[in-house]
Amino acid sequence: MAGAPARRRATSAGLRIRPRVVLLAAGPALVLMVAVFALPIVQTIQLSFSDWRGFGPIDFIGIGNYVDVLTGSEFWNSLRLTAQFAVLATVGIVVFALLLAVAVTRGQKGDSVFRAIWFLPAIVPGTAAAVFWGISVQPNSGVINNILGFLGLGSDHAWLASPQTALYVVIGVAVWISTAFPFLLLAGAIDRVPIEVYEAARIDGAGQWRQFWYFTLPLIRPVLTMVVALQLIWNFNAFTLVWAMTKGGPAESTTILPVLLYQEGFKNGDFGTAATMGVLSSILLIALGAVTLRRSAARAAGE
Amino acid sequence: MSRLSASGWLVFKLIVTAVIVLPFLFILLLSFRSMADIFRNPLGFTGNWVPENFARAWNGPPGGTGFGHYFINSLLVAFVAVVLAAIIGAVAAYFVSLLPGRWRARVLMIPLIATIVPTIALLIPFFQVFSAWGILNNPFAVGVLYAGLSLPMTVLILHAFFVDFPSELREAGAIDGLGHFRTFARIVVPLSKPSLLAVSLLNLIWVWGETQIAIVLLQKATSQTIPVGVLTFQSSFMSDLGPIFAGLSLATIPVLIVYFTFNKTISQGVSMGGTFR
Repeated sequence: MAGAPARRRATSAGLRIRPRVVLLAAGPALVLMVAVFALPIVQTIQLSFSDWRGFGPIDFIGIGNYVDVLTGSEFWNSLRLTAQFAVLATVGIVVFALLLAVAVTRGQKGDSVFRAIWFLPAIVPGTAAAVFWGISVQPNSGVINNILGFLGLGSDHAWLASPQTALYVVIGVAVWISTAFPFLLLAGAIDRVPIEVYEAARIDGAGQWRQFWYFTLPLIRPVLTMVVALQLIWNFNAFTLVWAMTKGGPAESTTILPVLLYQEGFKNGDFGTAATMGVLSSILLIALGAVTLRRSAARAAGE
Repeated sequence: MSRLSASGWLVFKLIVTAVIVLPFLFILLLSFRSMADIFRNPLGFTGNWVPENFARAWNGPPGGTGFGHYFINSLLVAFVAVVLAAIIGAVAAYFVSLLPGRWRARVLMIPLIATIVPTIALLIPFFQVFSAWGILNNPFAVGVLYAGLSLPMTVLILHAFFVDFPSELREAGAIDGLGHFRTFARIVVPLSKPSLLAVSLLNLIWVWGETQIAIVLLQKATSQTIPVGVLTFQSSFMSDLGPIFAGLSLATIPVLIVYFTFNKTISQGVSMGGTFR
Protein backbone atom coordinates (compact mmCIF):
# COMPACT_ATOMS: atom_id res chain seq x y z
CA MET A 1 0.00 0.00 0.00
CA ALA A 2 2.75 2.42 0.93
CA GLY A 3 4.85 1.37 -2.02
CA ALA A 4 2.20 2.09 -4.64
CA PRO A 5 2.37 5.91 -4.86
CA ALA A 6 6.16 5.85 -4.82
CA ARG A 7 6.14 3.37 -7.61
CA ARG A 8 3.71 5.38 -9.67
CA ARG A 9 5.95 8.40 -9.25
CA ALA A 10 8.97 6.45 -10.46
CA THR A 11 6.95 5.21 -13.40
CA SER A 12 5.85 8.60 -14.57
CA ALA A 13 9.35 10.00 -14.06
CA GLY A 14 10.66 7.15 -16.19
CA LEU A 15 8.22 7.87 -19.00
CA ARG A 16 8.30 11.61 -19.10
CA ILE A 17 11.06 13.09 -21.19
CA ARG A 18 12.05 16.68 -21.51
CA PRO A 19 12.33 18.03 -25.08
CA ARG A 20 15.76 19.42 -24.21
CA VAL A 21 17.05 15.91 -23.46
CA VAL A 22 15.69 14.63 -26.78
CA LEU A 23 17.32 17.50 -28.61
CA LEU A 24 20.63 16.72 -26.91
CA ALA A 25 20.42 13.02 -27.76
CA ALA A 26 19.23 13.50 -31.33
CA GLY A 27 21.55 16.48 -31.85
CA PRO A 28 24.46 14.67 -33.51
CA ALA A 29 22.11 12.92 -35.95
CA LEU A 30 20.35 16.18 -36.71
CA VAL A 31 23.61 18.07 -37.29
CA LEU A 32 24.98 15.35 -39.55
CA MET A 33 21.77 15.14 -41.60
CA VAL A 34 21.63 18.90 -42.04
CA ALA A 35 25.29 18.85 -43.07
CA VAL A 36 24.94 16.14 -45.71
CA PHE A 37 21.42 16.83 -47.02
CA ALA A 38 20.16 20.35 -46.34
CA LEU A 39 23.29 22.46 -46.79
CA PRO A 40 24.42 20.72 -50.02
CA ILE A 41 21.01 21.24 -51.61
CA VAL A 42 21.17 24.95 -50.87
CA GLN A 43 24.70 25.00 -52.23
CA THR A 44 23.72 23.17 -55.45
CA ILE A 45 21.02 25.77 -56.04
CA GLN A 46 23.54 28.58 -55.48
CA LEU A 47 26.10 27.01 -57.80
CA SER A 48 23.48 26.64 -60.51
CA PHE A 49 23.48 30.44 -60.75
CA SER A 50 27.26 30.60 -61.07
CA ASP A 51 29.95 29.75 -63.60
CA TRP A 52 32.15 27.92 -61.05
CA ARG A 53 34.77 25.76 -62.73
CA GLY A 54 35.84 23.59 -59.82
CA PHE A 55 38.29 25.98 -58.17
CA GLY A 56 38.66 29.66 -57.26
CA PRO A 57 35.93 32.11 -56.29
CA ILE A 58 32.28 31.62 -57.21
CA ASP A 59 30.93 34.30 -59.54
CA PHE A 60 27.21 34.55 -59.99
CA ILE A 61 25.88 34.97 -63.50
CA GLY A 62 22.13 35.02 -62.92
CA ILE A 63 19.93 32.63 -64.82
CA GLY A 64 22.41 32.16 -67.69
CA ASN A 65 22.92 28.44 -67.03
CA TYR A 66 19.20 27.78 -66.99
CA VAL A 67 18.73 29.60 -70.30
CA ASP A 68 21.61 27.62 -71.84
CA VAL A 69 20.48 24.25 -70.50
CA LEU A 70 16.80 24.70 -71.31
CA THR A 71 17.34 26.11 -74.82
CA GLY A 72 20.04 23.61 -75.82
CA SER A 73 19.25 20.13 -77.10
CA GLU A 74 21.65 18.17 -74.86
CA PHE A 75 19.54 18.33 -71.72
CA TRP A 76 16.28 17.49 -73.47
CA ASN A 77 17.81 14.56 -75.37
CA SER A 78 19.25 13.24 -72.17
CA LEU A 79 15.96 13.73 -70.32
CA ARG A 80 14.10 11.78 -73.00
CA LEU A 81 16.70 9.00 -72.80
CA THR A 82 16.54 8.99 -69.01
CA ALA A 83 12.75 8.74 -69.04
CA GLN A 84 12.91 5.94 -71.59
CA PHE A 85 15.51 4.11 -69.53
CA ALA A 86 13.71 4.60 -66.21
CA VAL A 87 10.27 3.60 -67.49
CA LEU A 88 11.39 0.51 -69.44
CA ALA A 89 13.66 -0.69 -66.64
CA THR A 90 10.93 -0.13 -64.05
CA VAL A 91 8.34 -2.02 -66.09
CA GLY A 92 10.74 -4.93 -66.56
CA ILE A 93 11.78 -4.95 -62.91
CA VAL A 94 8.27 -4.73 -61.48
CA VAL A 95 6.84 -7.39 -63.80
CA PHE A 96 9.64 -9.83 -63.01
CA ALA A 97 9.56 -8.98 -59.30
CA LEU A 98 5.82 -9.72 -59.17
CA LEU A 99 6.21 -12.96 -61.09
CA LEU A 100 9.06 -14.09 -58.85
CA ALA A 101 7.17 -13.05 -55.73
CA VAL A 102 4.14 -15.09 -56.77
CA ALA A 103 6.39 -18.06 -57.55
CA VAL A 104 7.76 -18.27 -54.00
CA THR A 105 4.50 -17.61 -52.12
CA ARG A 106 2.57 -20.69 -53.22
CA GLY A 107 3.59 -22.69 -50.19
CA GLN A 108 5.87 -25.02 -52.09
CA LYS A 109 8.91 -26.76 -50.67
CA GLY A 110 12.22 -24.97 -50.99
CA ASP A 111 10.73 -21.49 -51.35
CA SER A 112 12.89 -20.04 -48.60
CA VAL A 113 15.98 -21.23 -50.46
CA PHE A 114 14.79 -19.63 -53.71
CA ARG A 115 14.10 -16.41 -51.82
CA ALA A 116 17.60 -16.38 -50.37
CA ILE A 117 19.25 -17.04 -53.74
CA TRP A 118 17.10 -14.67 -55.78
CA PHE A 119 18.06 -11.77 -53.52
CA LEU A 120 21.74 -12.15 -54.42
CA PRO A 121 21.93 -9.54 -57.22
CA ALA A 122 20.86 -6.87 -54.72
CA ILE A 123 23.91 -7.32 -52.52
CA VAL A 124 26.66 -7.49 -55.16
CA PRO A 125 28.53 -4.22 -55.74
CA GLY A 126 26.76 -2.70 -58.75
CA THR A 127 29.98 -1.99 -60.63
CA ALA A 128 31.09 -5.63 -60.33
CA ALA A 129 27.82 -6.88 -61.86
CA ALA A 130 27.95 -4.18 -64.54
CA VAL A 131 31.55 -4.97 -65.50
CA PHE A 132 30.75 -8.69 -65.67
CA TRP A 133 27.76 -8.14 -67.96
CA GLY A 134 29.70 -5.60 -70.01
CA ILE A 135 32.37 -8.21 -70.74
CA SER A 136 29.79 -10.95 -71.34
CA VAL A 137 28.18 -9.13 -74.24
CA GLN A 138 31.46 -8.48 -76.03
CA PRO A 139 31.59 -10.09 -79.47
CA ASN A 140 33.17 -13.57 -79.59
CA SER A 141 34.89 -13.58 -76.18
CA GLY A 142 31.72 -12.77 -74.20
CA VAL A 143 29.75 -15.45 -72.41
CA ILE A 144 26.38 -14.25 -73.71
CA ASN A 145 27.54 -14.09 -77.30
CA ASN A 146 28.97 -17.59 -76.97
CA ILE A 147 25.69 -18.94 -75.66
CA LEU A 148 23.94 -17.27 -78.61
CA GLY A 149 26.53 -18.76 -80.94
CA PHE A 150 25.93 -22.17 -79.38
CA LEU A 151 22.23 -21.76 -80.13
CA GLY A 152 23.10 -20.89 -83.72
CA LEU A 153 22.25 -17.20 -83.37
CA GLY A 154 25.75 -15.88 -84.08
CA SER A 155 28.41 -14.92 -81.57
CA ASP A 156 29.75 -11.68 -83.03
CA HIS A 157 27.13 -9.15 -81.94
CA ALA A 158 28.73 -5.94 -80.68
CA TRP A 159 25.75 -5.10 -78.50
CA LEU A 160 27.35 -2.25 -76.56
CA ALA A 161 29.10 -0.73 -79.56
CA SER A 162 25.87 -0.03 -81.40
CA PRO A 163 23.75 3.02 -80.51
CA GLN A 164 20.68 1.00 -81.51
CA THR A 165 21.19 -1.75 -78.92
CA ALA A 166 23.37 -0.34 -76.12
CA LEU A 167 20.50 1.22 -74.16
CA TYR A 168 18.48 -2.00 -74.22
CA VAL A 169 21.43 -4.09 -73.06
CA VAL A 170 21.92 -1.75 -70.11
CA ILE A 171 18.19 -1.92 -69.33
CA GLY A 172 18.42 -5.72 -69.37
CA VAL A 173 21.27 -5.62 -66.88
CA ALA A 174 19.31 -3.14 -64.74
CA VAL A 175 16.51 -5.70 -64.59
CA TRP A 176 18.97 -8.44 -63.58
CA ILE A 177 20.46 -6.29 -60.81
CA SER A 178 17.37 -4.51 -59.50
CA THR A 179 14.60 -7.11 -59.54
CA ALA A 180 15.89 -8.72 -56.35
CA PHE A 181 14.96 -5.95 -53.94
CA PRO A 182 11.33 -5.32 -54.98
CA PHE A 183 10.93 -9.09 -55.34
CA LEU A 184 11.58 -9.53 -51.63
CA LEU A 185 9.33 -6.60 -50.68
CA LEU A 186 6.46 -7.92 -52.80
CA ALA A 187 6.91 -11.49 -51.56
CA GLY A 188 6.64 -10.07 -48.02
CA ALA A 189 3.47 -8.20 -48.95
CA ILE A 190 1.91 -11.32 -50.48
CA ASP A 191 2.85 -13.27 -47.34
CA ARG A 192 0.79 -10.84 -45.30
CA VAL A 193 -2.38 -11.44 -47.35
CA PRO A 194 -4.60 -13.38 -44.91
CA ILE A 195 -5.14 -16.99 -45.87
CA GLU A 196 -8.95 -16.49 -45.58
CA VAL A 197 -8.82 -14.30 -48.67
CA TYR A 198 -7.58 -17.23 -50.73
CA GLU A 199 -10.11 -19.55 -49.20
CA ALA A 200 -12.85 -17.13 -50.14
CA ALA A 201 -11.42 -16.90 -53.64
CA ARG A 202 -11.37 -20.68 -53.97
CA ILE A 203 -14.97 -20.93 -52.79
CA ASP A 204 -15.84 -18.38 -55.47
CA GLY A 205 -14.22 -20.78 -57.94
CA ALA A 206 -11.52 -18.30 -58.93
CA GLY A 207 -8.59 -19.83 -60.84
CA GLN A 208 -4.97 -18.92 -60.18
CA TRP A 209 -4.97 -15.96 -62.50
CA ARG A 210 -8.25 -14.52 -61.28
CA GLN A 211 -7.16 -15.13 -57.70
CA PHE A 212 -4.05 -13.05 -58.31
CA TRP A 213 -5.77 -10.31 -60.29
CA TYR A 214 -8.86 -9.80 -58.13
CA PHE A 215 -7.65 -10.75 -54.65
CA THR A 216 -3.87 -10.58 -54.26
CA LEU A 217 -3.12 -7.54 -56.41
CA PRO A 218 -5.58 -5.12 -54.78
CA LEU A 219 -4.30 -6.12 -51.34
CA ILE A 220 -0.64 -5.51 -52.15
CA ARG A 221 -1.31 -2.34 -54.11
CA PRO A 222 0.10 0.08 -51.50
CA VAL A 223 3.43 -1.76 -51.53
CA LEU A 224 3.32 -2.05 -55.31
CA THR A 225 2.77 1.69 -55.73
CA MET A 226 5.73 2.41 -53.50
CA VAL A 227 7.90 -0.10 -55.37
CA VAL A 228 7.04 1.49 -58.73
CA ALA A 229 7.82 4.99 -57.48
CA LEU A 230 11.09 3.90 -55.86
CA GLN A 231 12.19 2.03 -58.97
CA LEU A 232 11.45 5.01 -61.21
CA ILE A 233 13.60 7.17 -58.93
CA TRP A 234 16.46 4.65 -58.68
CA ASN A 235 16.55 3.96 -62.41
CA PHE A 236 16.38 7.66 -63.20
CA ASN A 237 19.54 7.80 -61.11
CA ALA A 238 21.26 4.69 -62.53
CA PHE A 239 24.66 6.34 -62.80
CA THR A 240 26.70 3.38 -61.57
CA LEU A 241 25.35 0.87 -64.04
CA VAL A 242 25.58 3.11 -67.09
CA TRP A 243 28.98 4.53 -66.25
CA ALA A 244 30.43 1.07 -65.63
CA MET A 245 29.03 -0.37 -68.86
CA THR A 246 29.10 2.36 -71.50
CA LYS A 247 30.30 5.67 -69.99
CA GLY A 248 27.26 7.17 -71.74
CA GLY A 249 28.24 5.99 -75.23
CA PRO A 250 28.20 4.98 -78.00
CA ALA A 251 27.31 8.30 -79.64
CA GLU A 252 25.62 9.49 -76.42
CA SER A 253 22.98 6.77 -76.81
CA THR A 254 23.10 5.99 -73.07
CA THR A 255 23.90 9.43 -71.63
CA ILE A 256 21.24 9.56 -68.94
CA LEU A 257 21.06 12.73 -66.83
CA PRO A 258 23.31 11.68 -63.92
CA VAL A 259 25.97 10.69 -66.48
CA LEU A 260 25.57 13.97 -68.36
CA LEU A 261 25.89 15.88 -65.08
CA TYR A 262 29.04 13.96 -64.17
CA GLN A 263 30.62 14.59 -67.57
CA GLU A 264 29.63 18.26 -67.60
CA GLY A 265 31.00 18.89 -64.09
CA PHE A 266 33.76 16.45 -63.35
CA LYS A 267 35.07 15.87 -66.88
CA ASN A 268 34.52 19.26 -68.55
CA GLY A 269 34.88 21.31 -65.35
CA ASP A 270 31.63 23.19 -65.96
CA PHE A 271 30.17 22.85 -62.48
CA GLY A 272 27.67 25.68 -62.90
CA THR A 273 25.93 23.92 -65.77
CA ALA A 274 26.18 20.58 -63.97
CA ALA A 275 24.53 22.09 -60.87
CA THR A 276 21.75 23.48 -63.05
CA MET A 277 21.11 20.02 -64.48
CA GLY A 278 21.19 18.67 -60.92
CA VAL A 279 18.55 21.16 -59.78
CA LEU A 280 16.29 20.50 -62.76
CA SER A 281 16.43 16.71 -62.42
CA SER A 282 16.04 16.90 -58.66
CA ILE A 283 12.78 18.78 -59.04
CA LEU A 284 11.45 15.85 -61.06
CA LEU A 285 12.82 13.24 -58.68
CA ILE A 286 11.59 14.96 -55.53
CA ALA A 287 8.11 15.29 -57.05
CA LEU A 288 8.22 11.56 -57.72
CA GLY A 289 9.56 10.86 -54.23
CA ALA A 290 6.73 12.81 -52.64
CA VAL A 291 4.42 10.05 -53.89
CA THR A 292 6.13 7.59 -51.56
CA LEU A 293 6.32 10.05 -48.70
CA ARG A 294 2.75 9.82 -47.45
CA ARG A 295 2.91 6.06 -47.15
CA SER A 296 6.32 6.11 -45.51
CA ALA A 297 5.09 8.78 -43.11
CA ALA A 298 2.19 6.60 -42.02
CA ARG A 299 4.56 3.68 -41.64
CA ALA A 300 7.13 5.66 -39.65
CA ALA A 301 4.56 7.03 -37.22
CA GLY A 302 3.84 3.45 -36.15
CA GLU A 303 2.24 1.54 -39.07
CA MET B 1 -3.93 -30.30 -63.48
CA SER B 2 -2.61 -28.80 -60.27
CA ARG B 3 0.37 -31.15 -60.33
CA LEU B 4 1.13 -30.00 -63.87
CA SER B 5 1.09 -26.37 -62.82
CA ALA B 6 3.20 -27.18 -59.76
CA SER B 7 5.93 -28.67 -61.93
CA GLY B 8 5.56 -25.77 -64.35
CA TRP B 9 6.33 -23.36 -61.50
CA LEU B 10 9.28 -25.50 -60.44
CA VAL B 11 10.78 -25.37 -63.95
CA PHE B 12 10.29 -21.60 -63.95
CA LYS B 13 12.00 -21.32 -60.57
CA LEU B 14 14.95 -23.39 -61.71
CA ILE B 15 15.40 -21.24 -64.83
CA VAL B 16 15.31 -18.05 -62.74
CA THR B 17 17.81 -19.56 -60.32
CA ALA B 18 20.13 -20.42 -63.21
CA VAL B 19 19.94 -16.88 -64.62
CA ILE B 20 20.83 -15.50 -61.18
CA VAL B 21 23.50 -17.99 -60.14
CA LEU B 22 25.32 -18.61 -63.44
CA PRO B 23 26.97 -15.16 -63.60
CA PHE B 24 28.54 -15.82 -60.21
CA LEU B 25 29.83 -19.20 -61.36
CA PHE B 26 31.19 -17.66 -64.57
CA ILE B 27 33.01 -14.94 -62.64
CA LEU B 28 34.62 -17.57 -60.42
CA LEU B 29 35.42 -19.94 -63.27
CA LEU B 30 36.87 -17.23 -65.52
CA SER B 31 39.02 -15.95 -62.61
CA PHE B 32 41.13 -19.07 -62.96
CA ARG B 33 41.59 -18.98 -66.72
CA SER B 34 44.06 -17.28 -69.01
CA MET B 35 43.24 -14.53 -71.49
CA ALA B 36 43.99 -16.79 -74.47
CA ASP B 37 41.70 -19.53 -73.17
CA ILE B 38 38.89 -17.10 -72.38
CA PHE B 39 39.06 -15.76 -75.91
CA ARG B 40 39.16 -19.25 -77.41
CA ASN B 41 36.19 -20.53 -75.44
CA PRO B 42 34.75 -18.55 -72.51
CA LEU B 43 32.26 -21.31 -71.69
CA GLY B 44 34.76 -24.16 -71.43
CA PHE B 45 37.03 -25.65 -68.83
CA THR B 46 39.92 -26.22 -71.21
CA GLY B 47 43.40 -24.77 -70.90
CA ASN B 48 45.60 -23.96 -67.98
CA TRP B 49 44.53 -23.28 -64.44
CA VAL B 50 45.84 -19.77 -63.64
CA PRO B 51 45.49 -19.01 -59.92
CA GLU B 52 48.10 -16.27 -60.38
CA ASN B 53 45.22 -14.11 -61.66
CA PHE B 54 44.32 -13.57 -58.01
CA ALA B 55 47.79 -12.43 -57.06
CA ARG B 56 47.79 -10.01 -59.98
CA ALA B 57 44.36 -8.70 -59.02
CA TRP B 58 45.42 -8.26 -55.39
CA ASN B 59 48.67 -6.45 -56.25
CA GLY B 60 47.45 -4.64 -59.35
CA PRO B 61 49.40 -3.95 -62.52
CA PRO B 62 53.13 -3.18 -62.09
CA GLY B 63 53.38 0.24 -60.46
CA GLY B 64 49.60 0.44 -60.05
CA THR B 65 47.14 -0.36 -57.31
CA GLY B 66 45.18 -3.54 -56.83
CA PHE B 67 42.46 -5.02 -54.71
CA GLY B 68 44.77 -5.13 -51.68
CA HIS B 69 44.44 -1.35 -51.49
CA TYR B 70 40.77 -1.25 -52.45
CA PHE B 71 39.93 -3.87 -49.88
CA ILE B 72 41.54 -2.03 -46.98
CA ASN B 73 39.94 1.25 -48.04
CA SER B 74 36.52 -0.39 -48.28
CA LEU B 75 36.95 -1.93 -44.83
CA LEU B 76 37.88 1.45 -43.34
CA VAL B 77 35.02 3.30 -45.04
CA ALA B 78 32.51 0.60 -44.11
CA PHE B 79 33.64 0.41 -40.50
CA VAL B 80 33.45 4.17 -39.95
CA ALA B 81 30.11 4.52 -41.75
CA VAL B 82 28.31 1.56 -40.19
CA VAL B 83 29.47 2.07 -36.60
CA LEU B 84 28.90 5.83 -36.63
CA ALA B 85 25.44 5.51 -38.21
CA ALA B 86 24.44 2.79 -35.73
CA ILE B 87 25.52 4.76 -32.64
CA ILE B 88 24.26 8.20 -33.62
CA GLY B 89 21.15 6.79 -35.30
CA ALA B 90 20.18 4.52 -32.41
CA VAL B 91 20.47 7.24 -29.78
CA ALA B 92 18.43 9.66 -31.89
CA ALA B 93 15.79 7.05 -32.75
CA TYR B 94 15.36 5.96 -29.14
CA PHE B 95 14.93 9.41 -27.67
CA VAL B 96 12.57 10.49 -30.43
CA SER B 97 10.50 7.37 -29.72
CA LEU B 98 9.95 8.65 -26.14
CA LEU B 99 8.25 11.82 -27.36
CA PRO B 100 4.45 12.07 -27.43
CA GLY B 101 2.92 10.79 -30.70
CA ARG B 102 2.13 14.18 -32.21
CA TRP B 103 5.71 15.32 -31.75
CA ARG B 104 7.18 12.11 -33.05
CA ALA B 105 5.31 12.43 -36.34
CA ARG B 106 6.66 15.96 -36.77
CA VAL B 107 10.25 15.14 -35.90
CA LEU B 108 10.27 12.08 -38.17
CA MET B 109 9.44 14.27 -41.17
CA ILE B 110 13.14 15.27 -41.13
CA PRO B 111 14.57 11.83 -41.96
CA LEU B 112 11.58 11.07 -44.19
CA ILE B 113 12.20 14.09 -46.39
CA ALA B 114 15.91 13.29 -46.44
CA THR B 115 15.18 9.87 -47.95
CA ILE B 116 13.78 11.44 -51.13
CA VAL B 117 16.73 13.77 -51.76
CA PRO B 118 18.52 12.45 -54.86
CA THR B 119 22.30 12.05 -54.87
CA ILE B 120 22.70 14.28 -57.93
CA ALA B 121 21.41 17.20 -55.89
CA LEU B 122 24.28 16.73 -53.41
CA LEU B 123 27.25 15.54 -55.43
CA ILE B 124 28.83 18.83 -56.51
CA PRO B 125 28.80 20.45 -53.05
CA PHE B 126 30.33 17.26 -51.59
CA PHE B 127 33.18 17.65 -54.05
CA GLN B 128 33.42 21.37 -53.41
CA VAL B 129 33.62 21.02 -49.61
CA PHE B 130 35.97 18.02 -49.68
CA SER B 131 38.22 19.92 -52.04
CA ALA B 132 38.14 23.11 -49.94
CA TRP B 133 38.88 21.22 -46.73
CA GLY B 134 41.66 19.21 -48.37
CA ILE B 135 40.01 15.87 -47.64
CA LEU B 136 39.60 14.60 -51.20
CA ASN B 137 41.00 11.05 -51.48
CA ASN B 138 40.42 10.51 -47.75
CA PRO B 139 38.48 7.27 -47.12
CA PHE B 140 37.86 8.15 -43.46
CA ALA B 141 36.04 11.35 -44.43
CA VAL B 142 33.99 9.44 -47.00
CA GLY B 143 33.04 7.00 -44.22
CA VAL B 144 31.68 9.88 -42.12
CA LEU B 145 29.77 11.18 -45.14
CA TYR B 146 28.26 7.73 -45.77
CA ALA B 147 27.23 7.57 -42.10
CA GLY B 148 25.32 10.82 -42.57
CA LEU B 149 23.67 9.57 -45.73
CA SER B 150 22.65 6.30 -44.03
CA LEU B 151 21.13 8.09 -41.03
CA PRO B 152 17.59 8.71 -42.32
CA MET B 153 16.92 5.03 -43.00
CA THR B 154 18.74 3.97 -39.83
CA VAL B 155 16.68 6.33 -37.67
CA LEU B 156 13.37 5.40 -39.31
CA ILE B 157 13.84 1.65 -38.95
CA LEU B 158 15.17 1.82 -35.40
CA HIS B 159 12.46 4.26 -34.37
CA ALA B 160 9.79 1.85 -35.60
CA PHE B 161 11.42 -0.80 -33.44
CA PHE B 162 11.92 1.36 -30.33
CA VAL B 163 8.31 2.60 -30.40
CA ASP B 164 7.22 -0.95 -29.66
CA PHE B 165 9.86 -1.47 -26.99
CA PRO B 166 8.04 -2.68 -23.84
CA SER B 167 7.71 0.30 -21.52
CA GLU B 168 7.79 -1.98 -18.44
CA LEU B 169 11.47 -2.63 -19.14
CA ARG B 170 12.19 1.07 -19.36
CA GLU B 171 10.28 1.65 -16.14
CA ALA B 172 12.38 -1.02 -14.47
CA GLY B 173 15.41 1.07 -15.36
CA ALA B 174 13.81 4.17 -13.87
CA ILE B 175 13.00 2.30 -10.65
CA ASP B 176 16.62 1.23 -10.40
CA GLY B 177 17.49 4.90 -10.56
CA LEU B 178 19.01 4.81 -14.01
CA GLY B 179 18.69 7.98 -16.05
CA HIS B 180 17.45 7.99 -19.63
CA PHE B 181 20.91 7.53 -21.09
CA ARG B 182 21.90 4.67 -18.81
CA THR B 183 18.53 2.96 -19.28
CA PHE B 184 19.21 3.14 -22.99
CA ALA B 185 22.75 1.81 -22.73
CA ARG B 186 22.14 -0.95 -20.18
CA ILE B 187 18.62 -2.16 -20.93
CA VAL B 188 17.48 -1.04 -24.39
CA VAL B 189 20.64 -1.63 -26.43
CA PRO B 190 21.31 -5.20 -25.22
CA LEU B 191 17.70 -6.14 -26.03
CA SER B 192 17.79 -4.47 -29.47
CA LYS B 193 20.82 -6.22 -30.89
CA PRO B 194 18.96 -8.03 -33.72
CA SER B 195 17.47 -4.77 -35.03
CA LEU B 196 20.75 -2.91 -34.71
CA LEU B 197 22.44 -5.73 -36.60
CA ALA B 198 19.78 -5.74 -39.35
CA VAL B 199 20.09 -2.00 -39.95
CA SER B 200 23.88 -2.15 -39.86
CA LEU B 201 23.95 -4.95 -42.42
CA LEU B 202 21.74 -2.96 -44.80
CA ASN B 203 24.04 0.02 -44.35
CA LEU B 204 27.07 -2.20 -44.93
CA ILE B 205 25.70 -3.53 -48.22
CA TRP B 206 24.89 -0.02 -49.43
CA VAL B 207 28.30 1.34 -48.43
CA TRP B 208 30.14 -1.64 -49.95
CA GLY B 209 28.62 -0.93 -53.38
CA GLU B 210 28.34 2.89 -53.39
CA THR B 211 29.98 4.30 -56.53
CA GLN B 212 28.47 7.62 -57.60
CA ILE B 213 29.88 9.61 -54.66
CA ALA B 214 33.08 7.62 -54.23
CA ILE B 215 34.10 8.10 -57.86
CA VAL B 216 34.03 11.86 -57.30
CA LEU B 217 35.65 12.02 -53.86
CA LEU B 218 38.20 9.21 -54.17
CA GLN B 219 39.98 9.93 -57.42
CA LYS B 220 43.47 8.76 -56.47
CA ALA B 221 43.76 4.99 -57.06
CA THR B 222 45.38 4.34 -53.65
CA SER B 223 42.37 5.87 -51.87
CA GLN B 224 39.65 4.04 -53.78
CA THR B 225 37.09 1.60 -52.45
CA ILE B 226 36.23 -1.69 -54.15
CA PRO B 227 33.40 -0.52 -56.44
CA VAL B 228 35.42 2.40 -57.82
CA GLY B 229 38.55 0.24 -57.84
CA VAL B 230 36.75 -2.26 -60.08
CA LEU B 231 36.40 0.48 -62.71
CA THR B 232 39.97 1.79 -62.38
CA PHE B 233 41.19 -1.76 -62.50
CA GLN B 234 39.20 -2.59 -65.59
CA SER B 235 40.78 0.26 -67.51
CA SER B 236 44.31 -0.68 -66.46
CA PHE B 237 43.89 -4.39 -67.30
CA MET B 238 41.87 -3.76 -70.46
CA SER B 239 43.66 -6.44 -72.45
CA ASP B 240 43.75 -9.14 -69.79
CA LEU B 241 40.42 -10.53 -68.63
CA GLY B 242 41.81 -13.13 -66.17
CA PRO B 243 42.86 -10.63 -63.47
CA ILE B 244 39.67 -8.60 -64.08
CA PHE B 245 37.52 -11.63 -63.29
CA ALA B 246 39.72 -12.43 -60.30
CA GLY B 247 39.09 -8.85 -59.18
CA LEU B 248 35.34 -9.29 -59.60
CA SER B 249 35.59 -12.43 -57.46
CA LEU B 250 37.45 -10.51 -54.77
CA ALA B 251 34.80 -7.76 -54.89
CA THR B 252 31.92 -10.21 -54.64
CA ILE B 253 33.03 -13.02 -52.31
CA PRO B 254 33.11 -10.94 -49.07
CA VAL B 255 29.50 -9.78 -49.50
CA LEU B 256 28.42 -13.30 -50.36
CA ILE B 257 29.95 -14.56 -47.11
CA VAL B 258 28.25 -11.82 -45.10
CA TYR B 259 24.97 -12.44 -46.89
CA PHE B 260 24.89 -16.19 -46.39
CA THR B 261 25.86 -15.80 -42.74
CA PHE B 262 23.14 -13.25 -42.00
CA ASN B 263 20.55 -13.71 -44.73
CA LYS B 264 17.65 -14.11 -42.27
CA THR B 265 18.58 -10.88 -40.52
CA ILE B 266 19.05 -9.05 -43.82
CA SER B 267 15.65 -10.06 -45.18
CA GLN B 268 14.11 -9.02 -41.85
CA GLY B 269 15.81 -5.66 -42.29
CA VAL B 270 14.29 -5.32 -45.75
CA SER B 271 10.82 -6.09 -44.44
CA MET B 272 11.34 -3.57 -41.62
CA GLY B 273 11.43 -0.96 -44.35
CA GLY B 274 15.07 -0.94 -45.27
CA THR B 275 16.20 0.26 -48.66
CA PHE B 276 19.69 0.63 -50.01
CA ARG B 277 19.23 4.39 -50.08
